[in-house]
Amino acid sequence: MFERFTKDARAVVEGAVSHSERVGAETVEEEHMLLALLDREGSRGSFVLTSLGATGLRESLERDLAEARRRGGLSRADADALSGLGIDLSEIVARIEETHGEGALESGKRGGNGRRARRRPFGQSAKETLTRALRVALARQDRHIGDEHLLLAITLRGGVAGEVLADHGITYRSVTRVLYGEDGVAEAG
Amino acid sequence: MTEATDLAERAGDRDPRIGLRAVSALRRLLEQLEAVQVRSARNRGWSWQEIAAELGVSRQAVHKKYGRQ
Repeated sequence: MFERFTKDARAVVEGAVSHSERVGAETVEEEHMLLALLDREGSRGSFVLTSLGATGLRESLERDLAEARRRGGLSRADADALSGLGIDLSEIVARIEETHGEGALESGKRGGNGRRARRRPFGQSAKETLTRALRVALARQDRHIGDEHLLLAITLRGGVAGEVLADHGITYRSVTRVLYGEDGVAEAG
Repeated sequence: MTEATDLAERAGDRDPRIGLRAVSALRRLLEQLEAVQVRSARNRGWSWQEIAAELGVSRQAVHKKYGRQ
């Protein structure tokens, strides 16, 4: 699958692995891909992110991602949906942390102290993002998969990373507008 | 308008999406809670058998899911 990836897209995938390692995650997830995308310079994806003001938003984006991780990988929309059932997610997080320590509910955290030097596997969210990027590129009849397709895939997937981006005004629609000068009404993938 | 507030606003409209989202969120939350509790029990020296009995599942199921950690 990776043979059609551009140099920049490959750099994002590799960067995602580094980010996953840095935070001691069990797997490589979509949020690590987003962080790697934010690291890029001079690529199509970074051009879009810069145009949409993401460089100045980096801290805020990272904070929101960390917050979601602390909530067990649940997004703000998830928390709102749960509160509709009368479940206060922040209360649950607080109680769990009280008993089991800060960050106890954190998603994708390595259990125990096993320091395995094995290759980090790609988690479900990252796999889905890669597949979707491929489909987005195919739908646009682009011959290569660039980091802009990865960004489009994240905004389309509706996961935590996409939601954090949307909260900062970076959506499938705004990204396609910058990239192709059109409204992304017809959703690919 | 963020997706979150958008969803929250629709909560009053009995939009199925909000209910389904809650179920999905609850399922993911449950997984995280289970992992926390199993880890804690193991740290306190509980056997897989004891943990499985409390969770109401087979010992093999718990061990397969958390045994590597």
